[in-house]
Amino acid sequence: MEFLEALTFIERGVVAGVLIGIIAPLIGSFLVVRRVSVISESLSHVTLTGISAAVLLSQTLMWVEGLNPLYFGALFALVGSLLIEKLRQEYHHFQELAIPIILSAGIGLSAVFISMAESGYNEWFSYLFGSIVSVTLSDLYFILITSGVVLTIVILMYKELLAVSFDQEFAKVTGISVRSINFLFSVLVALVIALSMQVVGILLVGALITLPVAAAIRIGASFRSIIIYSIIFGELAVLLGVYFSYHLNIATGGTIVMTAITILFVVSLGKRLWQWTTAA
Amino acid sequence: MIEVFFRFEFLQNAFFTGIMIGFLAPLLGVFLVVKRMSLIADALSHVTLTGIAFSLLMSKYVTAFVLVNPLYMGIAFSVGGALLIEQLRHVYTYYKELAIPIILSGGIGLGVVFISLADGFNTDLFNYLFGSVIAVTRVDLWTILGITVIVTTFIIIFYKELFFLSFDEEQAAVAGLPRRWLHLMFIVMVALVIAASMRIVGILLVSALMSLPVAAAMQWAKSFKQMFIFAILIGEGAVVFGLISAYHLDLAPGGTIVMLAVGILILSISVRKLRDGTVVSLRSIRRPA
Repeated sequence: MEFLEALTFIERGVVAGVLIGIIAPLIGSFLVVRRVSVISESLSHVTLTGISAAVLLSQTLMWVEGLNPLYFGALFALVGSLLIEKLRQEYHHFQELAIPIILSAGIGLSAVFISMAESGYNEWFSYLFGSIVSVTLSDLYFILITSGVVLTIVILMYKELLAVSFDQEFAKVTGISVRSINFLFSVLVALVIALSMQVVGILLVGALITLPVAAAIRIGASFRSIIIYSIIFGELAVLLGVYFSYHLNIATGGTIVMTAITILFVVSLGKRLWQWTTAA
Repeated sequence: MIEVFFRFEFLQNAFFTGIMIGFLAPLLGVFLVVKRMSLIADALSHVTLTGIAFSLLMSKYVTAFVLVNPLYMGIAFSVGGALLIEQLRHVYTYYKELAIPIILSGGIGLGVVFISLADGFNTDLFNYLFGSVIAVTRVDLWTILGITVIVTTFIIIFYKELFFLSFDEEQAAVAGLPRRWLHLMFIVMVALVIAASMRIVGILLVSALMSLPVAAAMQWAKSFKQMFIFAILIGEGAVVFGLISAYHLDLAPGGTIVMLAVGILILSISVRKLRDGTVVSLRSIRRPA
């Protein structure tokens, strides 16, 4: 782990970016297939609540000061994802209402916390829109460890996750505990959002989770190929995004998402062109 | 408590705007929720941010743009975003719900790029994101009044058609309603209301004002009409009390308004549950006898 300490701040950002470029589209593939890609949007907003709560607490309580706000963010995201499941049962006929409710509550609460905490605007903007230079060593450890955990879980439980994502009924019949897999999946999503947040920013985490997958789904023939394509696109978006962000002096989250959108656009156009030429 | 809102002009502006959006947002929200499109408001509000960022950027380079209210650019972008969402739904036939996150993230990504280019990471942006009591000018007030008149007239004239379309799209299309046109007009109305609400509640919280009062009203209402009445009452309550307490406690108004709405929602769910619970237990006591 010593080589990590030798990294400069920009190298730290790039390492974090590369890890996120793998993890976010990986989880994103499952989310898109489960048709719950919007969940990442609402959980990222809840993460902001956790972070603003941590910042506010660290100003009022001494012992919270040393705590990394990321942990609080991850915790809140997890609670949020469990709440969404609960609300989905509450609004039987309008299940999709659960997501806007949690999203609004999360962002509303964070707005209140932010206006109570006497912090500068710039600190919040880097949380909201991401900043590659703000990745500290302790953030990097957090990102490294959680991506290791997420990757291991996905590899070990790949079959179960796949079964539950595609056909819950079938999974239940084959004896998989759908409830515990769903819970595990919520934990994974919450972790991924908390760890991506530092680089791309809260408002843009959802983009990194869905956009590469949206592009991959256009050309992938199987679920496995969708995962591979989406990770390639994710990495491409992160690396090019970081490069442009550094040279053009634009917020990192913005350039990463714009690169991802461009990839999506090019892939869609390419597919149409290919269809057109093969058809003619 | 409330007198102060009539003493200062900027607070008057905020107060009257608040009353208008407390009416408008839940009004459209009912249709959005019933049409199962409550997330579209989120996507459009993020696209509105793109428009505002674009307007800020342009006003830095083109002097003529300084005179244009960023609101108009926001409206233009969110109408454009609405059209794009419709387009994308056709592209992703099997994953229709992907259209919303794509537009949402694309909008905010582009917005961030514009803001960076305009060096706009400042208090102004913060007010756009989370709302502000002091940001509403007289011009904004008149614009919002105009929007209120347009939207209310639209809803009154096309109430029956919208009602029909919301509950049974197939049937409505068979009956010869111009489905596409009505849907488009409705989305434009949503874009207008988002732009109007943005000043006070902030872009990130506009959609909350459209979905939370409706979600709470659903717990009480026994008919579609009742749902409108309850949603608007709850919306107005949240906005008015939220504004007043935000001003006195020095909090972001968007946050307080939304938190009040969340409080009402939680209360509604628990009261209904309690009531249902007692009904059920009474029945189970009586049944053996």
